[in-house]
Amino acid sequence: MTQDVSDPVRVMVVDDHPMWRDAVGRDLLAAGFDVVAVAASGDEALARFRADRPQLLVLDLQIPGPGGVEVTAEVIRQDPSTRVLILSASGEQEDVLAAVKAGATGYLVKSASREELIAAVRRVARGDTVFTPGLAGLVLGEYRRLQEEPGPKLTARETEVLRLVAKGLSYKQIADRLVVSHRTVQNHVQNTLSKLQLHNRVQLTRWAIDQGLDEDPEDPM
Amino acid sequence: MPSLLASRTLDPAVVAVEDRLYRALAVLRIVVLLNAIALNVHRANFSHPRLGVAVLVAMGAWTAFAIWAYAAPQRRVPALLIADMTMTVASLLSTLVVKGPWFNASVPGFWVAGALLACAVQWRWRGGLVAAAVISTVDLAIRDHITQTNYANVFLLMIAGPIVGYLCGSLQEMAASRAAAERAAAAAAERARLARVVHDGVLQVLALVQRRGTELGGPAAELGALAGEQEQALRTLIRQQDTSAAPWSAVADLVGALEQVAASSGLRVETSGPGGPVEMARGTVDEIAAVATECLANVARHVGSDARAWVLVESLSDQVVVTIRDEGPGIPAGRLEAAAAEGRLGVVESIRGRIRDLGGEALLFTDTGLGVEWEFTVPRRAPA
Repeated sequence: MTQDVSDPVRVMVVDDHPMWRDAVGRDLLAAGFDVVAVAASGDEALARFRADRPQLLVLDLQIPGPGGVEVTAEVIRQDPSTRVLILSASGEQEDVLAAVKAGATGYLVKSASREELIAAVRRVARGDTVFTPGLAGLVLGEYRRLQEEPGPKLTARETEVLRLVAKGLSYKQIADRLVVSHRTVQNHVQNTLSKLQLHNRVQLTRWAIDQGLDEDPEDPM
Repeated sequence: MPSLLASRTLDPAVVAVEDRLYRALAVLRIVVLLNAIALNVHRANFSHPRLGVAVLVAMGAWTAFAIWAYAAPQRRVPALLIADMTMTVASLLSTLVVKGPWFNASVPGFWVAGALLACAVQWRWRGGLVAAAVISTVDLAIRDHITQTNYANVFLLMIAGPIVGYLCGSLQEMAASRAAAERAAAAAAERARLARVVHDGVLQVLALVQRRGTELGGPAAELGALAGEQEQALRTLIRQQDTSAAPWSAVADLVGALEQVAASSGLRVETSGPGGPVEMARGTVDEIAAVATECLANVARHVGSDARAWVLVESLSDQVVVTIRDEGPGIPAGRLEAAAAEGRLGVVESIRGRIRDLGGEALLFTDTGLGVEWEFTVPRRAPA
């Protein structure tokens, strides 16, 4: 997805703190994004999402219900091309992992600088994933937890790349160290997330089938 | 007897225990009443049968009344217990008339246990002791001769009263302390929930101040940096609260311990690990934390006091891997070997030795311009 000046990315900022909402919105506008909506709660976010069709959400996890994880799952369900960047203050690890499994492709802590935020939004808008070392550590831990059960596995190379991200190396440093292209590193990182998200969807579907939710409600059985 | 009649506690947990005990006592009262009636009918040795029947009827009526009266907490007043004891003593005394002064078995027999145990439940061991003493004294006083069996009964009565009272008291105290602990846990959970909300708000503001301050530059940037430090400290504190095991526990959370090390190093350290605690023996955690402190102190010494560093904790099935990395100038190849040849390799050898003592392995990756990266692989179980 390439963006030119005449066609800026449509962004929605979701945060219950007005100060943050304004600051992030201002920064994104100044960087050339089209901030089409802001929302202070999960309900508001879903309503504005349907009305304003943003392509990208900058989403705080701690918002009045439904929370950031549910909002992520719902917008991806409605439009799988939607990108979600999690911008979180406290970094509640369970929630960050849940949001990523629900389909968010980027995670940033709020103490990141404005430049880091703009760069992250640009990358997520392009379809890339934005990892912090913290998120890489969580995802590594999740794969190791899943190792004992049937589920997605990382290749040796993906594990290697993810470990380097978790140790704080930039994609460029990783590319240099492994003597591969920047794009290859990016692809490896992206794969680690998409496998996890796919696994999540498969599990949801299996759960839905188990619960009989796949049956036509009109069907009298 | 002020201590005996002291105002009753209103702790619902204590009252609930009392309720159960009185329900059990109600069953016992019926059993001992039926026993007394059956024995008296079987023996049929009343000197004044009409009076004897009247006493048995009165005992039955009192039993029914007592079961009703003790069923509700607010009716368990001292007057009820005193009346209960009075009825019991009266039934004992009636034996003198009903059976004559040369009787062997009293009319109420074991029926006296009802009032005795009520006193024990209500006033604990003191109540049980006093009630047992009163009943025993009356029982012995009205007999013209005392047999081995009489003595044995009195002895059992004197032992049972205080012991049952003591057990009732213990049960009530245990119920009270369990209820208090449950209340404390609920209050703590609520406090933690509220704290989470407050902390999130504070973190938001600190992050915003840090961000805006840095952008404004000058003195504002200093404020921003301070806010950033506080943000880090608070984040660490929250994580500690979430994962800290009891201080007397034999295990500790390695991630939490390393985050604390990172926070107190003064460097800009990013710690990452699996979600949730990585629990290991407390001694192992303390030792790894001490080694990490040494590593980060080295970073501060060789790279600078505001250097960036990364700590990664990986939890594998039988071992834990800790990586500590910086982006400093690194150590040129050959330097360490040269230093070792000169017999000085203090820090590096000390780190390797300490990890080896944990049954693990410490690997050092470094070269000019590549920073320093330590990787510690430590078995989950301490070496035997």
